[in-house]
Amino acid sequence: MRPWTKITVLIAGAILAAIPAVAQQVGTATAVNPLSESTPPGATTVALTVGARIVHKERIHTTPSGSVQLLFLDKSTLSIAPNTSILIDEFVYDPNSGKGHMLATLTEGTLRYVGGKLSHEGEAEIATPAAAIGIRGATGTFHNDKHGTQVIDLFGTFTIHNGAGAVVLMRPGFYVTIRDWNTPPSEPGPVPEALNTHYMNTTTSTSAQNGGVGGLKHVAIDDCGIGPAGAIGGVQGKTCPETTWVPTDTAESNAFQTIITATQRATAIIDLPGGGRRTRGR
Amino acid sequence: MALLAVSSLSASAQTIYGPASDLDPLFRGVLTRPSNLANPQQYAVDAAQAGDIESAISTYDQLLFYNPNLSRTRFELGVLYYRLGSYEMARDYFKSALEKRDIAPDLQQRAEEYLAIIDKKLLPDQFTGFAQTGLEYQTNPGAGPGPQTALASGGKFDTRFSSKGDWNWFGAFGVNYVHDFETQRGDTFEASVIGYDAQQFTLHQFDVGLMEVRAGPRFMIFPGSTSGLSVKPYAIGTGALLADAPYSAGGGGGLTVHANVGSIALDPYVEFAQQSYRNSSFYPFASGLSGPLSTYGLLASGPISPGLSWVSRVTYAHDNASFGPDSYNSYAADIWLPWNFTVGTDSRTWTLTPTAGVSRWLYDAPDPSIAALTTPRSTEWRVGLGLDVPIWRQVVLGMLVQYRADQSNIPAFTMHDLAVSAGPTIKF
Repeated sequence: MRPWTKITVLIAGAILAAIPAVAQQVGTATAVNPLSESTPPGATTVALTVGARIVHKERIHTTPSGSVQLLFLDKSTLSIAPNTSILIDEFVYDPNSGKGHMLATLTEGTLRYVGGKLSHEGEAEIATPAAAIGIRGATGTFHNDKHGTQVIDLFGTFTIHNGAGAVVLMRPGFYVTIRDWNTPPSEPGPVPEALNTHYMNTTTSTSAQNGGVGGLKHVAIDDCGIGPAGAIGGVQGKTCPETTWVPTDTAESNAFQTIITATQRATAIIDLPGGGRRTRGR
Repeated sequence: MALLAVSSLSASAQTIYGPASDLDPLFRGVLTRPSNLANPQQYAVDAAQAGDIESAISTYDQLLFYNPNLSRTRFELGVLYYRLGSYEMARDYFKSALEKRDIAPDLQQRAEEYLAIIDKKLLPDQFTGFAQTGLEYQTNPGAGPGPQTALASGGKFDTRFSSKGDWNWFGAFGVNYVHDFETQRGDTFEASVIGYDAQQFTLHQFDVGLMEVRAGPRFMIFPGSTSGLSVKPYAIGTGALLADAPYSAGGGGGLTVHANVGSIALDPYVEFAQQSYRNSSFYPFASGLSGPLSTYGLLASGPISPGLSWVSRVTYAHDNASFGPDSYNSYAADIWLPWNFTVGTDSRTWTLTPTAGVSRWLYDAPDPSIAALTTPRSTEWRVGLGLDVPIWRQVVLGMLVQYRADQSNIPAFTMHDLAVSAGPTIKF
């Protein structure tokens, strides 16, 4: 091939390569606390900013002060704590059919995954060095460090497997630990409150940070939270949490029914005309 | 090499469907302009109201990133996780909301109410219930007919059981116990006890005491699913006193299934109990009622609008009494419409509960001592209105007005009763 031909092919290749890279946006960085970095495939590492497009095969790394929220096309999110490294291995999603697949690898640190369309189809997966975790209709916290992986069920079902075994995690508030790929996952058990609180606090901004967007002074909340329509203590509307309403007159009603029946039978005590008493025949 | 790279990237591109423009406009706004605060705010509220709880959580998470010091954001996340049944996360968010300096008194009260409920739900042994005492006036506490009622059999009606008004003191309680085995299946052991005692001021033949116990394990059919599908076999024990003397006792078992269908909770059940009645001076023929009782029922409940819901029960029962004419089939339907609301600036919850019900009783045969040729057929209509007025913490003043009217082809079985009761009620 002549030199000018090589150059032409390389330029064409570069242009064509650039087009699908743009088309491959799979999500957006909706909140970013510095310093958080991203490394798109084939590109250099840059500081992540709010609104940045997240693409297929992109690596995200947060420093000790950095944290990020990523919003994906299927409406799922990843809230990424400081000192975390993840890779968006795969994200395939058709908004029309709701079909596709997501795979992210957590190599170190903590993230919270809040499910979207793909997890509802059982097509979301988080991998760590110690396990592969299939997610179905679920929201959970994932942590990985030198001691292994922890998976906390916040809602839904997680299928956790590695080279030594598998376990299904399906109760909110339960968690599983996996030491390494060749050690079976632990049996699910209640998550310690302190651990859950720690991860809740680390997967968002600290009190001095604003996720890259300042000026938020007030938020609107649903009527469930406050106001006459959402008062708790009884059954609520469908958008509100429900507590069971129990009629307090059940025993009284049963007692009165007992009296009704008893009285009806008591009327059978009959004083016959002319004296004497007739009892009921058997 | 360049061509291979192009080929590879094109193959990857083919697996990416649907640009952001295919998405709904509000979500697209959040995705493309996340820093425009109007987008996530509106999207969060819309998602929560539409029941898309995960999207709402994601968006309030986003807002929490922007300002982690707002108690309302943390409170709403607590509500959303509560709705998911993720009580540990809900607890953490409510607690963190209470720690924020900007929390308003009403929000603080609600967060504390939620935390009290969550603390119960996270205990392996959970008790809920109520206890009430008070006074009641009934126009016809014995459910008897008028004093001039004639019996077709020719006898005189026993006027001790005719309609006459009286006051009573009453006490009632209900306790539900749940033991969580703390397996991730969510299996539990449940027990419930209800009790009632009323002492008449003058008509002591109608002093009544009653207790019912139900207990059994509940097994989840599809753990982790939102259907909540579960099955519970249980044992039943009942006992009653009438006129301050033992009147009846019973024992048996039942089976109930729970399922959530959308926002409606369904609890069909079957119960079989052997009942034993004891004769007494006031009720010398009670033992004729002894025999097996089978009940088939459905409890259902669901929301109507925020604060207003419905609870309904329909039953069919067959009683096979030892004295044939006392055997019956009955059909009943009841509905309650509890409505929670607040009054004025008081943020505490009042509950108004209209109720209505109907029962149809079809006896198997005529009772020769009452009407030798007429098989009793009775219909009872009942309506009521309950009001719970908050007094102090978990104490409410419970008031109930209820009217019952029984129509029967046996004049002695026809009656009506108006009951008015009131008394303090503690709920826990």
